[in-house]
Amino acid sequence: MTWMTGQRIVELSEVTKIYEGKVMHRALNRLDFEAEEGEFVAVMGPSGSGKTTLLNLISTIDLPTYGKLVVNGIEPEALSSNELALFRRHNFGFVFQDINLLHMLTVEENIVLPLTLDGLPLHEMERRISKISSLLHLKGILNRRPDELSGGQAQRTAIGRALIHQPKIILADEPTGNLDSKSAKDVLELLSHVNETERTTIIMVTHDPIAASYCDRVLFIKDGEFFNEIYKDERRQTFFQRILNVLSLLGGNVNDLRTL
Amino acid sequence: MNFRQFAYRNVIRNRRIYAAFFMASVFSVMVFFLYSMLLFHPSIENRFLQEIALVGMGAAELILFIFTLFFLFYSMRAFLQARSKEFGILLHLGMEKRQLHRLIFIETLIIGVGAILAGTFLGYMFSKFFFMVVKQIVLLPALPLYLSWKPFALTVGAFLSLFIIISLSAPVFIRTGRVEELIRGEMADLESHGFSTKKALFGLALLGTSYWMAASTSNSIVIGLTFLLPPLATIGTYYFFTDSLPFLLHLFRRRKKFYWRHFWLLSVSEGVVRLKENARMFFIVTIVSTLAFMSVGILASLTSFASQYRAMNPLGLVYHSLPGNQMEQRHVAELIDELKDKKLDYTLVRIPIIEQTSSFTENRVSILKLSNVNLLAQSFGCSKIDLTKGFAMFLPPSASSYDFLKKRTVETTLKETDISIKIEGAYPFQLFPSSANAIGTNVIILNDEDFEQIIMQDIDPASVYYAFNIPDWQNTKEIGLQINRESFITGSIHHLPYIFDNPGANYAIIRTTFSLLLFAGLLLAGVFFLAAGSFIYFRLYTSLERDRKQFDVLRRMGITDKEFKRIVNRQLIPQFFFPWGVAFVHSSFAFLSLQVIWDALAEISIVKELLLVLVGFTLMQVIYFYLIRWRYLAHIKASA
Repeated sequence: MTWMTGQRIVELSEVTKIYEGKVMHRALNRLDFEAEEGEFVAVMGPSGSGKTTLLNLISTIDLPTYGKLVVNGIEPEALSSNELALFRRHNFGFVFQDINLLHMLTVEENIVLPLTLDGLPLHEMERRISKISSLLHLKGILNRRPDELSGGQAQRTAIGRALIHQPKIILADEPTGNLDSKSAKDVLELLSHVNETERTTIIMVTHDPIAASYCDRVLFIKDGEFFNEIYKDERRQTFFQRILNVLSLLGGNVNDLRTL
Repeated sequence: MNFRQFAYRNVIRNRRIYAAFFMASVFSVMVFFLYSMLLFHPSIENRFLQEIALVGMGAAELILFIFTLFFLFYSMRAFLQARSKEFGILLHLGMEKRQLHRLIFIETLIIGVGAILAGTFLGYMFSKFFFMVVKQIVLLPALPLYLSWKPFALTVGAFLSLFIIISLSAPVFIRTGRVEELIRGEMADLESHGFSTKKALFGLALLGTSYWMAASTSNSIVIGLTFLLPPLATIGTYYFFTDSLPFLLHLFRRRKKFYWRHFWLLSVSEGVVRLKENARMFFIVTIVSTLAFMSVGILASLTSFASQYRAMNPLGLVYHSLPGNQMEQRHVAELIDELKDKKLDYTLVRIPIIEQTSSFTENRVSILKLSNVNLLAQSFGCSKIDLTKGFAMFLPPSASSYDFLKKRTVETTLKETDISIKIEGAYPFQLFPSSANAIGTNVIILNDEDFEQIIMQDIDPASVYYAFNIPDWQNTKEIGLQINRESFITGSIHHLPYIFDNPGANYAIIRTTFSLLLFAGLLLAGVFFLAAGSFIYFRLYTSLERDRKQFDVLRRMGITDKEFKRIVNRQLIPQFFFPWGVAFVHSSFAFLSLQVIWDALAEISIVKELLLVLVGFTLMQVIYFYLIRWRYLAHIKASA
């Protein structure tokens, strides 16, 4: 397959993550995972399988307990927390389930936020806003506040914020979790459009097999360990069917399928 | 676990949130109690002090009480709103609204009673110390610690009723209308504007006008302005915080070139939200701080007042016996006895004053004998002056007239005795009281030979001036009380055959009044300071959940710790320092106009003292700021 020839942008080998606390918890266990530049990967698994932990490791918010992690050619462990913050700022865009727009900022200000931190010139910021807002159909609502937006508009704004600084990787944690099916479809189409046109790598954690069917590849994990991995084929419909099959194998957790 | 226990445990387990609130309450109870202790002190009865104490402390108590009421209302509301989720769950589980109200009532009362107990206890513990401080600044004889039910009754009564009012009305703050709304927790309504441009401009105009008027006052209108400006500035300040400031920030937000620069975006937008939530609180803090600055500034200026007062009144006691005074010998003997009694060192110089008519001006001129003046000068450590026969010297009535008189030479003849003299220059030392208490405006010092010659011609002294030089002049307030009493009985001062002046006693009264007010003001300022700080902390605490989420977003987005600190700084600093900054500006302008009054009164400059006060307050505020920021950052990061 063609995308496999690209550069590896994320690489985990034998990564283990243990949370210490009153109860010690092994969130990931000897997990191998890599993503190529420009790939659109979904990570699926039951609740508590370590999906979000994986995302936090990739985003360098958390460091692995054991194992090796390389993101965009950098080992996060080698960087100071300051360097890490700057590294995150320039390499990642985030999209969350509960959207997390800053409520005191307008749509436009929310989107431009990452750029202001880097002190870009105003005309450059405005150029990018205009480009992004037409891509995301946000032109008419740039001056609204987050509490005046529908769920889909809010998530599109969040995607705008994730894209504005042209990151290498977009990390999405259940981006469609709180959306109705129409908005969810919009958001997914948008993400795959961005993935195709900008060649931005997207790693998306999701429960939703429909959302996963937009991706190039789906990684399944269970109890912090690798479970399965499938690649997309010619038709989304069959890919979707195969995802369902793996999910049903993944454990008798019928609840995960209920949304179907 | 019964219902009361449930309420009790709620308080105990929410202690982190309650702590700041509780501390501020305890402190205001304590200060209130201390004031009451002074108010009811048995040993300040029947003295002029009592009146000052009553008015000053009473006013302070009233202000404190009202402020505490506001403070409790605000805190309670914010606090209950922060716990709305918890109440929602309780209602969801089937608690009746009546029960919920009772729960809140009991909880509030527990805190209230706790604060009252702790406050009065601490107050009583500190009252001895408090009395010592009062004694030090007021120069009173030691105030003994006393036990009386009155201060306790006043404090407990006042605050118990306060807390009952609060606890009864507290449930009104939680809207129990829709349970699910409570559970979700409410977000502050964030309309995009929330200010009226008209009011904004009105507020700015009011402030501008009052500043301008305060800065350009002249002596003639200053009294009128003192009545006009405070209400003007107060209303202006109110609109400044509710409308003008949001308006200005709105203007700033349109200037993307600056607004979209680094942290400004986050800080300014967060500032707007905070401002909207706290505008009224900021207003109160500003006004109160202004009052505190003003009182402290005025009172601090007393130190320079003291030295100037001394310069104007170099003599410890003055007894000026006019013709026809039969009590002269007795009064002076009494004063000497009293001074010896009090073990106060003194030098008494008896100065007979002769009056003659000057041929030069045709006016009466008072004449002092040079050796008398030299005698007095020696007691002050000043050098002797020599005058040969035929020469005299002006005795300037005030320091400012010296410059004019020292270059003047007048040749004149004293008409009654036909003695010609040359009056040359002015006496350089300020030994006699100036201005109102001066011997007269037309006084000369004559050489001894000519003076004796006048006496020889059977001219009786017109009056005798007894000048007491007392180095320890501030302790003379007990001297001459008998003479004062006689004067009161005899009637109007103008008909008395003598003039008795005790600058030490007058100074003590002025000083005591101001010091007491200063002390009351400082304690009040302390309460306000603590309350304002605790309120800000409290606000931060209630919005912690939201802030944590924001921090999480920002952290993922890649904000370094340093940058985050800067963002938090930019959010906190305005909250801490803006009201104080406005208060600074307010009081500076107020002092500008007050300086005019001071100038007219006593040629006093209060710039230095004021600066000292402002610096002191700022320092305290900075410490408080760092303390709260430290706690806030710890809370935010702990959960992320």
